Amino acid sequence: MTEPLIVLEGVSRIYRRGGEQLHALDKVDLKIEAGSFYAFMGPSGSGKSTLLNLIGGLDRPDEGSLSVAGQPLAALSGADIARWRASSVGFVFQGFNLIPVLSARDNVELPLLLAPLSRAQRREHAAHALELVGLSDRADHRPSQLSGGQQQRVAIARSIVTDPTMILADEPTGDLDRAAADSVLDLLGRLHEQLDKTILMVTHDPRAAAAAEYTVHLDKGRLESVERNETPAKA
Amino acid sequence: MPLRLILRNLLKRPLRFTLTAGALMMAVFLVCVLQSLVVALDAGVREAKSDRIVVQSAVSLFVGLPLAYQSKIETVEGVERAMKMQWFGGIYQDSSGFFAQFGVDTDRLLEVYDEIRIVEGSLEQLRAGRTHCLIGKGLVQRYGWEPGSRIPLQSQIFTRGDGSPWEFTVAGIYESDSASIDENTMFFDFRYLEETLRARGETEIDAGTYILRIAPGTDAVRVMAQVDSMFENDAQRVQATSEAEFNAQFVSMLGNIPFFVSSIGGGVLAAIALAVLNTMIMAGREQSRDVGILKALGFTDRTVFAVLLGQSLLLCSLGGFLGLGLARLASGPISMVLSTQFPGYEVTPGVLGQAAAVALAIGLVAGITPAWRARKLEVVDALRGEA
Repeated sequence: MTEPLIVLEGVSRIYRRGGEQLHALDKVDLKIEAGSFYAFMGPSGSGKSTLLNLIGGLDRPDEGSLSVAGQPLAALSGADIARWRASSVGFVFQGFNLIPVLSARDNVELPLLLAPLSRAQRREHAAHALELVGLSDRADHRPSQLSGGQQQRVAIARSIVTDPTMILADEPTGDLDRAAADSVLDLLGRLHEQLDKTILMVTHDPRAAAAAEYTVHLDKGRLESVERNETPAKA
Repeated sequence: MPLRLILRNLLKRPLRFTLTAGALMMAVFLVCVLQSLVVALDAGVREAKSDRIVVQSAVSLFVGLPLAYQSKIETVEGVERAMKMQWFGGIYQDSSGFFAQFGVDTDRLLEVYDEIRIVEGSLEQLRAGRTHCLIGKGLVQRYGWEPGSRIPLQSQIFTRGDGSPWEFTVAGIYESDSASIDENTMFFDFRYLEETLRARGETEIDAGTYILRIAPGTDAVRVMAQVDSMFENDAQRVQATSEAEFNAQFVSMLGNIPFFVSSIGGGVLAAIALAVLNTMIMAGREQSRDVGILKALGFTDRTVFAVLLGQSLLLCSLGGFLGLGLARLASGPISMVLSTQFPGYEVTPGVLGQAAAVALAIGLVAGITPAWRARKLEVVDALRGEA
């Protein structure tokens, strides 16, 4: 039995607004194997995105422990956790979150600035990532010149360009029409199958969740269940 | 790439960028001009010679000194030369044709003011005729005069009996590398003034000031004290001062202009600094999500701080650079226009350096607030658009 990639033990995230305490996550225990594809589902405010943010080191738990690849994230300083994110995590967001003033190529190249690569090497990696998502011919376009689906594929290219261990996708199909959503899900599925990436995806969409191997159900910050999907759907 | 990100973010709103850079350009230009005025005012004091002493009436600069004082002053040990200098107050054509004219002992002029270099004509030609005069290069540029040109002047102080203008003929042109020598001045033979006035019956003719040149190594303070005491019980008491002190006193007669001018410059800069700060705060807020994205991708707080601060510094550097260029380009025309009031106006490298430093300081001040905010921004808040 191999060690799980991600281990959460009694993880809570509590927001304090005025005198009130809101448990966005409440004592969550979860283990995720490397190379698996998880979907996190639940109603709004159930804690899905909070969980993803904690795993990606964008936020810190108030209680419990969270380790990735045996490394407790709480032990890392702000700068160390930024470096860890740069090398180990790729993010895909619902609103695409591309830098509007940069071209598709420059957006994809952005995370590589933190790697010890020459400009030519960065260009080469970015071109390869854009090719993987089928957007080589849109490299010089700004985000505003691309469709929603294309922007999300650029975001996926950016998330994989550093060859991270895991890709965290927060509602990646939320702003897309069906065809574009299928294309993105297909892409995530291929990254999982062909490149063995660990993919954690927050979604409201049961069709999107059907593409994952596991579905984690959350409600009011609590982990309700983890279901295994024996036959993940192909988009 | 961070540089590209800085540039593209700056150019994202071209109108705002252009207006802010333009405002900064004008502010830096104005600061250069105002500072150059202060430097020009101060030049006479700064470059005054320590071996020159000015003797004036102890009552006022506007009260003359007897001509007999000249030979007495020259008996003081250490005084090499004493030269009469009489303000003429002439106007050429109309009130806009005002420049400085002095009646002097032409045989002593170049000994007392050895910074004067005659570039056309000669001292001999100057002394060859009573109405001959020596003019500075600035007057040549302003009026196009040349040796042989005739200059009619109406004096506000000395009138001829028949009301006709005083006639002068250009015998030479001078220039000087020293800021203490104004190149917009005319020197003529004091005897022309004296003889003309005597011819119409005036008996009390005096000199405005005496300019002394003292021997090298002479104690100037001792000479000044001796000159002062020499006429203590005389009809007209005198006050001897160093040239620097005299020039400073002359400037102070105009009021505290350096302070006034510097205050205007400071006010302009403060207003522009606030405007740039406002622009950068707006730009910082607009880029909150971008900051969140950069941080999510692994960029450190320090890098996002640099990206925001870099935008402000680049904006101010560009505006400042344009302002400096404009100040340099406009230096010649402004110098021409202000040659009478501010002789020696010049945008010096020192002034340019100060203005450049001020532009960068504005960039720093305006950039730190949004940069610090970006540094402190939580990724999750920034991405949610709650920052």
